[in-house]
Amino acid sequence: MKSTQYSEKVLDHFRKPRNVGTLEGDDVVIGRVGNPVCGDLMEFYVKVKDDRIEDIKFKTFGCGSAIATASMITELAKGKSIDEAFKITRQDVADELDGLPPIKMHCSNLAADALRNALNNYQKKKKPSEPSDTQGGGSREIAGADRFIGNGVFTEITDPSALKDKRVMVMEDGDRSLNIALELTKYTQRVVYVTARKDLPAGNLSDRVAGSKIKILFESEVLEIKGLNTVEKVLIHDLNEDEEYELFVDCIILPARK
Amino acid sequence: MSVYLDYQSSKPVDPRIVEAMLPYFHDKFGNPSSLHAVGDTATEVLESSRAAVAHFIGAESDEIIFTSGATESNNLALIGHALRNKDKGNHIIISEIEHISILNIAKYLEKNGFVVSRVPVDQFGRIAIEKISERVTDKTIMVSIGYANNEIGTIQQMETIGRFCRDKGITFHTDAVAAEGLIPIDVKRDSIDLMALSSNDVYGPQGLGVLYVKKGIRINPLNIGGGQERGLRSGTENIAAIAGMKKAVEIMGAEMATETKRLQQYRNRLIEKVLDLVPRSYLNGHPTLRLPNNAHFRFEGIEGESLLLSFKERDIAVSTGSACSSKTLEPSHTLIALGLLHEEAHGSLQITFGRFNKDSDFETLLETLPQIVKRLRKLSPLYKWEV
Repeated sequence: MKSTQYSEKVLDHFRKPRNVGTLEGDDVVIGRVGNPVCGDLMEFYVKVKDDRIEDIKFKTFGCGSAIATASMITELAKGKSIDEAFKITRQDVADELDGLPPIKMHCSNLAADALRNALNNYQKKKKPSEPSDTQGGGSREIAGADRFIGNGVFTEITDPSALKDKRVMVMEDGDRSLNIALELTKYTQRVVYVTARKDLPAGNLSDRVAGSKIKILFESEVLEIKGLNTVEKVLIHDLNEDEEYELFVDCIILPARK
Repeated sequence: MSVYLDYQSSKPVDPRIVEAMLPYFHDKFGNPSSLHAVGDTATEVLESSRAAVAHFIGAESDEIIFTSGATESNNLALIGHALRNKDKGNHIIISEIEHISILNIAKYLEKNGFVVSRVPVDQFGRIAIEKISERVTDKTIMVSIGYANNEIGTIQQMETIGRFCRDKGITFHTDAVAAEGLIPIDVKRDSIDLMALSSNDVYGPQGLGVLYVKKGIRINPLNIGGGQERGLRSGTENIAAIAGMKKAVEIMGAEMATETKRLQQYRNRLIEKVLDLVPRSYLNGHPTLRLPNNAHFRFEGIEGESLLLSFKERDIAVSTGSACSSKTLEPSHTLIALGLLHEEAHGSLQITFGRFNKDSDFETLLETLPQIVKRLRKLSPLYKWEV
């Protein structure tokens, strides 16, 4: 079966997904699975009252079956008790949709996992919470940084026009780095901003960056700079997913040395 | 009415070409290896087709080998050349954005003792000559760079790369399938030693390819048998398809200039309109140095398979570099080489068009696209801006 040969029921849920959106409130828990790297990301917003799912909404970035399975599970879960909802499996979702193409059974059938993630968060919430802290910026050594100084690795930019049309990565260094990133957008379409934070610090500068076409990599750090004679790619560590991947860039601007 | 905007995947055969092929199925069915008159008829069309293809690319007749398709041509060129020249060296240079057939042939060669370097590209998909030059060693026997990229349509500076290889005494191979019939190709001007072409990409039948082998370039055959095609590609020739290829290059030779002008107008308008109609949309590939029939976009916050599926529901055929639509579940290696993140590669849309597209096809696409993107963005947890 080709990847896009879906059952009528999948197509129906793809065309008219049920329960799209978000929910807010103290009684709402959020579940999330997948990541944009693999191509599917699902978020569920579950409103629980007396251990029963009163309302549920979702948002999905992904293929046809990712959208359909998320939509289907909201219908299956609504009104169910927490215990009942925990029992909904990937197979149940696929069966209710009259099956999924074999290749999609694994990668795009994450709805049951996402729902369980939300339910787990609900149960954790009932117990006293442990403070979850995110790692700070961290000034870990970047492998290869010294080797490429002047050949794609910079600590300061005196002439941004020299980076015209280059793919530039800017590492977080407070306002200084935000300013550099914004300035560079005048010279190149591709500016990638890397930060270990979850969000940009509130402020006018951050708003301008968020509204620009700068690509921001949150919760990420640079592990290694690679290339033959000049910078060609970097190895990125996604702190949230604990995954590593390579990204092609032409230059990288390090934080100022203190 | 259905709209087909995926010419890069497959092109309809021009009815004039079908007509030129028909006699060779029944009336003129011979085998060129036979010495009787029926065989002579087949020999005639085989040789005149060879001459026509040679003329189309600025080559000599005896430099043209017919194969079963461009993939076979690439195999014969890379593996045949590597085996024949392994005494001179074992190093081959390709780029990060080669067609899947070249990438997999390179992997096969690596498993068999050859060393392959992959040249990175810039953000538009162009290869800088310095990036090739710094990878050359005294063991380098071949450079293989696609004439133009089959996904994003970026055209390479072939003349410069060809001259560089000629000066270094390195064999220069190119997979020219994406470019053929869309930009003028001249093997002499570009100092090309080996070049793969396909019949379908000039609106001929599928199942026929060409390998140009410059005089003096030595390769080993991979298909062993009756010694057809100067011993480089044994097997009875596919005469009807070869007759079709002849007609295909004749038509292309006569009509390419006007045809590409028309396609270029479609392309320019399409790019301008899409970037204007869809917020946070980007063009992948080079803004000007790109094939006249290629427009390649990415849209922030959405995924390509659901985009394709939405178009399919409206009877519009397009393509994407998203992992979710591929057999391997990996996003397009070409888009990754441009420096895109996986999530960005997932949100891509490839539109390729050609001889039989009409104005209305583009109007339909432009009417539909913004609505589809809007709907998917409303569903997306990644799109943080106003839909």
